Amino acid sequence: MTARIARKTLLAFLAIVALLAILPFLGLEGYRLRLLTLVFLWISLAGCWNFMSGYTGYIDFGPVAYFGAGAYATAILMIRLDLPFALSLALSGGVCALLSAIIGWATLRIRGAYFAIATFAAAEALKQISLEGDRVAGFEFFGGSHGLTLPPPPASEFFYYVLLAFMVLVVGISFFLEKTKFGYGLKAIRESEPSAELSGVPTLALKIKAYVLSSSLIGCLGGIEAYWLTYIIPDDVFNVMRTIQMVIMTLLGGMGTVWGPVIGAGFLTLVAEFLGAKFVYDYLTILGVVIIVVVLILPRGIMSLGKGKRGEAK
Amino acid sequence: MILFLQSLINGILLGGIYAACAAGFSLAFGVMGVVNLSHGDFVMIGAFVTYWLFILLGWDPFLTLPITLMVLFFLGLFLQKLTLNRIAGAPPIMSYLLTFGLHLVLSSLALRAWTADYRTLNPSYAGLNFNLFGLILPYSRLSTFSLALILIFGLYLLLYRTEMGRAIRATAQDGEMARLLGIRIFKVYAVTFAISAAITGVAGSLVAQTFVVYPQMGLPFTVTAFCVVVLGGLGYVPGTLFGGLILGVFESLATTYLTAGLSLVLTFLLLLVMLILRPGGVFGKGALE
Repeated sequence: MTARIARKTLLAFLAIVALLAILPFLGLEGYRLRLLTLVFLWISLAGCWNFMSGYTGYIDFGPVAYFGAGAYATAILMIRLDLPFALSLALSGGVCALLSAIIGWATLRIRGAYFAIATFAAAEALKQISLEGDRVAGFEFFGGSHGLTLPPPPASEFFYYVLLAFMVLVVGISFFLEKTKFGYGLKAIRESEPSAELSGVPTLALKIKAYVLSSSLIGCLGGIEAYWLTYIIPDDVFNVMRTIQMVIMTLLGGMGTVWGPVIGAGFLTLVAEFLGAKFVYDYLTILGVVIIVVVLILPRGIMSLGKGKRGEAK
Repeated sequence: MILFLQSLINGILLGGIYAACAAGFSLAFGVMGVVNLSHGDFVMIGAFVTYWLFILLGWDPFLTLPITLMVLFFLGLFLQKLTLNRIAGAPPIMSYLLTFGLHLVLSSLALRAWTADYRTLNPSYAGLNFNLFGLILPYSRLSTFSLALILIFGLYLLLYRTEMGRAIRATAQDGEMARLLGIRIFKVYAVTFAISAAITGVAGSLVAQTFVVYPQMGLPFTVTAFCVVVLGGLGYVPGTLFGGLILGVFESLATTYLTAGLSLVLTFLLLLVMLILRPGGVFGKGALE
């Protein structure tokens, strides 16, 4: 993409954001407001996953570990310590940053399918801990399979604006990645890690930074969703379907691009909402078919459609 | 002491089944580089084939094995031709997504067709067991364990003693080179995936005799297959036997001496530690990137 087109796309995005920001004053409410909030949430989640996996090519198959950990950290801080939401959320981001630094430090040395399986295992381990931790330790902390109930949340408009701001932040970081040395380093890892290492790119440190950035933001999103829905259970916040959705959305839009996750997540959230409402029982089957068709027909994402013959994501 | 020995034996008997469930996963990964997330659904379908033949036609579960083998072989061949063949050579993430799509379709169609009920097989000999110095060995577990071993040995013979097996192993080592030497690698891919599905289906028939059968049982078996295959070495088929036994014994001892929930946490931690310290498996013979 040339600089001029990139600037135009950015301006168009900012115009849409400005429009979205005033929509609630123009009478947007109820179901439609919540649906848009959901779209912002998924764009942010897919965007965060893209920082790590889209740019470095390391396929993280367990981002839901941090979504769940963030949700639980926020809930526990709010219930057990009576902290306000904003402080709990910030602390949850910190918890996830620490957790992902440890897991990333250990797992980012292995590659390909091994990294994918290891991150998947880490997410499942955290889910089991939140499910069984109480029974093993013998006291009430995670709430087991009954989950936790958070204090009553503010109006839906609050979450609409919080997640809109979050989405802008995530897109902003993607822009930052496109323009800075940090982002170039990550892309170099994707193209060829040994060559990057030889050219003096500190690959392990960069990978860990990207992983921690992506994971702590995903943790915050988990905390926001927990407060929004006020009720969390391990099987939902650690659900592997969330991981798959982040992956599919990014892939559908185009991996390692700024707008890929935005387009993919926006499109798929609306399609899934439509299918879920129309075909309650066959929803998952249809979603499976959609995934298969996307992989077979559009392996490079929607973003590749307008790219002409060269098809290079630039 | 008797408790320890009993858990050890339970673990070994369980491990045989695990190994049989995972061998096909390792084969598909070794040859095609596919991490098959719909792998567990082949176990589920195999289990249901046996269940329905037993319930509707009154067949003995052991007599259903050839049928399961055929059904899953052709299902595998069909799915490979229809989908996986088209993404050969694409980045690995495509295979994760594609096979997850297959998992969604297979498991939710099964849910639609057979409801979420938990089902069990109860042949007349289900409760019989053999008492060895106070250790209890159920006949059904002993026979499924032996069949699981035979299945893995059969796969080993196929891979190491036949012309087709040589072609499969050559393709696994270097697809491009195999192609230059006149091996039709797409045919090899198709047969490999079909074999992988077929042995996994038969393993599912064995699973049906000791586990609960339900449409969503697939994903947990996919995870088990991950663990087994990582322990044995990804892509190294004979290693799955040892991977399965290690995992079975580990889970069984953890369940006896800790709690069942914690045993899963430990399984995942074991998997993580193995991946980080010994990604080539216990014997270091797995495929490395």
